[in-house]
Amino acid sequence: MSDRREVVLDVLALVSGVPRASLRPEQDLVADLGLDSPKAVRLLVELEERLGAEIDDAEAAGLSTVGDLLQLADLHA
Amino acid sequence: MNAALEAPTLDELLRRARAAGSPAGVSLVDGRGRRGARRTWSQLLAAAEVAAGRLAALGVERGEPVVLALGTGAEFLELWFGAVLRGALPVASAPPGGLGSSELAFRRLSAVVERIGARRVVGAESLAREALVLDLPALASAVVTPAAVAELAPAPFAARAPAEGDIAFLQLTSGSTGVPRAVRVTQRGAAHNPRAMLSALACADPLLEAGLAAGGASCVSWLPLHHDMGLVGCLLSALAGGVDLLLAAPRTFLGRPETWLANLGSVPLAIAAAPNFAYGLCAERVAPEMLPGADLAGWRAALCGAEMVRPETAAAFAQRFAPLGFDAAALRPCYGLAEATLAVTFEARGAGVRRAAPSGAGGPSVVCLGPPVLDTTVRVTAPDGTALGNGAVGEVHVRGPGVFAGYHNDPEATAESLRDGWLATGDQGFLRQGELYLTGRTKEILILNGQNLMPHELEWIAESAAGGAGAARAAAFSVDGAAGERAVVVLEVEEAEPAALAELAREIKVRTGRLLGVPLADCAFVRRGKLPKTTSGKVKRGEARALYLARELERLPEAGA
Repeated sequence: MSDRREVVLDVLALVSGVPRASLRPEQDLVADLGLDSPKAVRLLVELEERLGAEIDDAEAAGLSTVGDLLQLADLHA
Repeated sequence: MNAALEAPTLDELLRRARAAGSPAGVSLVDGRGRRGARRTWSQLLAAAEVAAGRLAALGVERGEPVVLALGTGAEFLELWFGAVLRGALPVASAPPGGLGSSELAFRRLSAVVERIGARRVVGAESLAREALVLDLPALASAVVTPAAVAELAPAPFAARAPAEGDIAFLQLTSGSTGVPRAVRVTQRGAAHNPRAMLSALACADPLLEAGLAAGGASCVSWLPLHHDMGLVGCLLSALAGGVDLLLAAPRTFLGRPETWLANLGSVPLAIAAAPNFAYGLCAERVAPEMLPGADLAGWRAALCGAEMVRPETAAAFAQRFAPLGFDAAALRPCYGLAEATLAVTFEARGAGVRRAAPSGAGGPSVVCLGPPVLDTTVRVTAPDGTALGNGAVGEVHVRGPGVFAGYHNDPEATAESLRDGWLATGDQGFLRQGELYLTGRTKEILILNGQNLMPHELEWIAESAAGGAGAARAAAFSVDGAAGERAVVVLEVEEAEPAALAELAREIKVRTGRLLGVPLADCAFVRRGKLPKTTSGKVKRGEARALYLARELERLPEAGA
């Protein structure tokens, strides 16, 4: 797995409190990982910081699952 | 006291603040918490006058609602004040956005625009695009970008001094059914409420009183400006009081809560307001070591409102930041609502978070929210309208200069809330020695992380996921969790097969997440007819909640649950 994907999983585990090893691409960010709006904003801010990328509203609107976030990491590579 | 604070109308307040030429002003804080250059209130209002001319050039009439779907920034500030100076009615609305599709946020905005009859929505280009995708042509065609407004040459218009009872702006607020309501805030209320809040702050704290009089205080805020606590509580109060405002976007706080505290710790005398969840977020995510050089001893007023104040959150926050000089007595619970312009009661003793229980077997002890603010009266009434005595629980009613002039284009809702000059708040509580304590709400909204959520939207999602064309019935409500309210949905179903129910529960949770960005704490199923309803078939949410909490719902088992 790429370093950038690793970063995504680290951030997701940190923000959601779900152990990294239990994260799966098909999981839904809100329904399965319980991201409420403060956590979702924190996730975006941390990802922008650590991936050195800017995630605009349209992009954020397309993020629903762990897999979507992993793809985002590739996109901003 | 300065002249702006004594103004009888918001319009006059703005004119006096502009003329006062105080060195105080607003500094925008960027996404990393860095403070930008200060723009004095006079400079901002001069720019707002230009914006007023541009709105006139756009064809905006006196008394016309203009929706501002913009985030925190210079554009919002100039256009909001510009609309007031034009004599139009600014309506601040959350710009739709966030994780996942925010389809319901667009639909809500579209419904608001229709309800209040707004011809123009100032918002991003993407707002118009998304509105078209969602087949909301009226919203799409109403959108004007702030850049397009800025290109217009200001047109002259006849300024006319409004009367105290005229409407100054519309404040969106959630009812428990249907689209958000637009509260008609009066010129008098918008001018009076900042004065009421500042005098409540001053009377509890001589240091703050001196600082406010000398113009040496700063307000540090990240609260959204489409929220009454951000707009009236922070922006208008700072302007009226000649207080410096350090203003960040909500996203900056949620992403980096330490920036709020760092800015608070960098000024000699600070005021800030936030919902309970924000204090909890700081206690959880910020360590004193992350704030080198910050001194929180000058933070004399840490106001807490907009959702139920939890003593354990306040205690955790105070303990966490005591090493930086934070004084637990600075925590000031308060109570307000858009229908009262904002402030109704403020903790005034400077004694921090105190509690008391209602009389008799009325319930557990709750947090004291202080006495009514200046010129404001609070009473607690029984369902038949009679006023109740010390310690008895009833509905909280408010009278005073801040009380609104009704909901825009909604006479029925207005008649329910305004009775003989009294505002019936829908909140339950009691008075003790003239101080207010809230015990709950009769309005059936959910407040998650300081954001109001309407139950019918959750119910609609659950009912449509079940596929029943209006046949399935749901009840949505909130329950208390360790960190605040959590959302629960109970749905009536025909199918009782455990595996199918587990699948439906997940589908409802996923749809709720994607459409509203809200995680469900629980999704429960009962057989058709088991939800309590009125004789006319309306689901009784309060009773459903009581049954759920008492574990008396006849829940159908789900696979894996």
